[in-house]
Amino acid sequence: MLSEERRTEQVSLGSRASARLAGSDIRDEFGLETLDMNMGPQHPAMHGLLRLILELDGETVVRCDPVMGYLHRSKEKISENRMYPAVVPITDRIDYMNNIAMEYGYCLAVEKLLDVEITPRADAIRALMNEFGRIMSHIPSVGFLMLELGAFTPILYAFRERERIQSIFEAVTGARMMFHYIRIGGVKADLPEGMPEKMWEYIEGLESRFDNDFVDLIEGNEIFRARTRGVGKMTPEKALEMGLTGVPLRCTGVPFDVRKHYPYGWYKNLDFDVVTDAAGDVEGSYRCRIGEVRQSIRMIKQILENLPEGEVMADMGRRLRPREGDGIGRVESARGEYAVHVVSDGSDTPYRVHYRTPCTVNMQLLQEIVPGHYLPDIMPIMGLIDPVSGAWDK
Amino acid sequence: MSLDILNQEPIRFLLSFGVVLFLVLNLAAIFTMAERKVSAYIHLRFGPNRVGPRGLLQPAADVFKLFTKENLAPSRADIWVFLAAPIAMFLPAALVWLVVPFAPNAVIADLNVAIVFFIAMTSIGALGLIMAGYGSRSSFSLLGALRGAAQMISYEVPLILSLLGVIMLSGSLSLVDVVNAQAGGFWHWYFLPQLPMFVVFYIAGLAEARRVPFDLPEGESEIVGGFMVEYSGMTWALIQAAEFASMGLISAITVTLFFGGWQPPFEFLDLGNFNWFWFGLKTSILVFTFQWVRWSLPRLRMDQLMDLGWKILVPASLIWLFVTAGAMLLLPSVF
Amino acid sequence: MAFTLPEGDLNERLERYLEGFRNRHGLEESEIEGNLVRIVIEPSALRSVLTTAREALGILHLSFITVVDRMGSFEITYELLDLRGGQVRVKTTVEGEEPVIDTVTDVYPTANWHEREAYDMFGVAFKGHPDLRRLYMWQDHFDHHPLLKSFEISTKRTFENLR
Repeated sequence: MLSEERRTEQVSLGSRASARLAGSDIRDEFGLETLDMNMGPQHPAMHGLLRLILELDGETVVRCDPVMGYLHRSKEKISENRMYPAVVPITDRIDYMNNIAMEYGYCLAVEKLLDVEITPRADAIRALMNEFGRIMSHIPSVGFLMLELGAFTPILYAFRERERIQSIFEAVTGARMMFHYIRIGGVKADLPEGMPEKMWEYIEGLESRFDNDFVDLIEGNEIFRARTRGVGKMTPEKALEMGLTGVPLRCTGVPFDVRKHYPYGWYKNLDFDVVTDAAGDVEGSYRCRIGEVRQSIRMIKQILENLPEGEVMADMGRRLRPREGDGIGRVESARGEYAVHVVSDGSDTPYRVHYRTPCTVNMQLLQEIVPGHYLPDIMPIMGLIDPVSGAWDK
Repeated sequence: MSLDILNQEPIRFLLSFGVVLFLVLNLAAIFTMAERKVSAYIHLRFGPNRVGPRGLLQPAADVFKLFTKENLAPSRADIWVFLAAPIAMFLPAALVWLVVPFAPNAVIADLNVAIVFFIAMTSIGALGLIMAGYGSRSSFSLLGALRGAAQMISYEVPLILSLLGVIMLSGSLSLVDVVNAQAGGFWHWYFLPQLPMFVVFYIAGLAEARRVPFDLPEGESEIVGGFMVEYSGMTWALIQAAEFASMGLISAITVTLFFGGWQPPFEFLDLGNFNWFWFGLKTSILVFTFQWVRWSLPRLRMDQLMDLGWKILVPASLIWLFVTAGAMLLLPSVF
Repeated sequence: MAFTLPEGDLNERLERYLEGFRNRHGLEESEIEGNLVRIVIEPSALRSVLTTAREALGILHLSFITVVDRMGSFEITYELLDLRGGQVRVKTTVEGEEPVIDTVTDVYPTANWHEREAYDMFGVAFKGHPDLRRLYMWQDHFDHHPLLKSFEISTKRTFENLR
């Protein structure tokens, strides 16, 4: 418990509302006052459960205060009370659009503490599934961006691709969403027979469908350009200051990708580019996502071309007791740098697990750049960050 | 003929009013169904296909469901304004159908100021919108209503300006006269000499009917339905009916003014009293384009909407107005 | 503020970081481990160490702040990245049940929500934080800090009897 004097003043409603409650006059010299608006938590464009306390001057946002915690499931506390392998399905539920990267980060962290060698085939399959996971997350992100701009059709085209990738995941992992596929020491099972050929076939089809149906529908559209160009504009300095990672950072022109600069697993052997865009606005983030899907397709092809043979699980004891110390697993999830910090005290259960989810950090952006924009611009800015409710709330 | 009694004044008026109400309510149902099917095929889905043959009875099921739903009102709403708003939106959209010529001799009221009547009635629609937004006492509704009022008032201007060319060419404010002036093949229709005016009218009409990309009063991704966020049950259905009726109405007026109304495209295709077929066909095609636009385009922002209205549509229609006037003055033999 | 991403050989750069920290501050422990510079410092030196990292050494990115409840003391880890392969892990230990530590929001503005989260979950008070509200939990009428080891959960299980 904190004693009263150590607790900073808790302002839950914001300065303006508190001022009104305190009875002071908040009108300007023309006798006008701004409008308070509570957007969410139940709001179709809030990517889940997010509440924005807005102060509006007409349609212009004066103040934006995000309130989170409506989907807080205390993953960190649960993780402290489970054995090491049993935490993996918990991590699945963090970012439910890109689960496979969440498992990957945690397993990397524990493997650092266990000092196990991962077989090449397991590494390659992990990277393969991770890239499928990225496509599965990026295409609907762009679809959601369009949905929030008012175009309903792209999201259904996006989900057509997501469903098909989910079918691939179902064949490989046995689940469509909560995979629990990457395990500590390897992966759950080898690819089923004939799966690499099917994946190849799908990827070839995806390339043409992606260009012809999806990108064509969006890119040439005048209204899309008018709504996204210059919206959410930020400088690279600002982005670095805010600690952004992933697409929001890369769309300002800073080339930082964990896969390239802090390589893990099979990514050391792959040839790919870090997609950046100098625009630093919503349109730039759209182009980054499209470019990253193309890079993922390229990586999947490389992996499938020379998939190593061998076992997919390292030889470990049944009961895992990592050495004392801390292990950090850092991966590039579809939303940015995702890091898991596991602190072990040598027992069966982690002493402390900290998940650094990119969404939480990237969402600080809302406070900073939304004021000054129009009310409908909040939605494309949310599309720029592309947060997932489960990931920012943990 | 004993049926002449139906043409006597009070009975004729009541009958026509009943016919219009029947028509508009059914149109709303048919357009809902069409919208759902069109959107489904654009989305690579099937759409409603369970109720009746190929899902054709779905509108009936919808209406039945909406009738049985409770009408909720926010506890602090201004209840009379709240309940009157859907009616204030629906009636203007329905009443304009009184002056639309469906076929030769099939117009309920051949007003000599039909175009003015149309403009006046569509303007009243904005009133219902403001009532709905104000009455439901929600900041989302209020924002939606304010957007709607601004949008409908500013798009009224290009809408009227784009009509002037047709009025000048036909020399009449009566819709029947306008249709008759376009007789004799599709090259006599006004969309050819008045093409820029037609484009302006179409865009302004989209805005008047509050369809995407101009559905800012609803803006379901930012203000979640806008002025109708608090409505449910039959009041909501009435607002929906008004929206679909005004979409059909804008299409019908566009067809009447620019596509020759019930006039067949070639004279040998003249069906006599059955020329309503041509009217229906053209209107359906226009309604389809409305839906096509609806499911392909994102929404504009409020400032961009105002820019488009005042900086592009108004000057464009004014320029073409002068071009038309100049042409009529210099080449009187053609007109 | 312009930015430059570091270039050159990773090991040289890590040496440079380590030297930079050693020359300016008294460190309790310091070592290089792989691509990681690990330093342990006194809590009072935290702000100056991070300022050195940001201003003098040009380490641009604060990745996360982890608080670990060691029952009686709190171990706080600041993970810094130079975005080009180098990692700096700054550890400090605050004694006592009611920890207070300096904020680093003016050095790394991104620490804002990291510190709010740490305050919410552990009750670590960050001196000088501009907006220290709870991030996840209820703002009012909730006087607990759920990730403390003293906060018992009903489904706590032990695995003593398992094989």
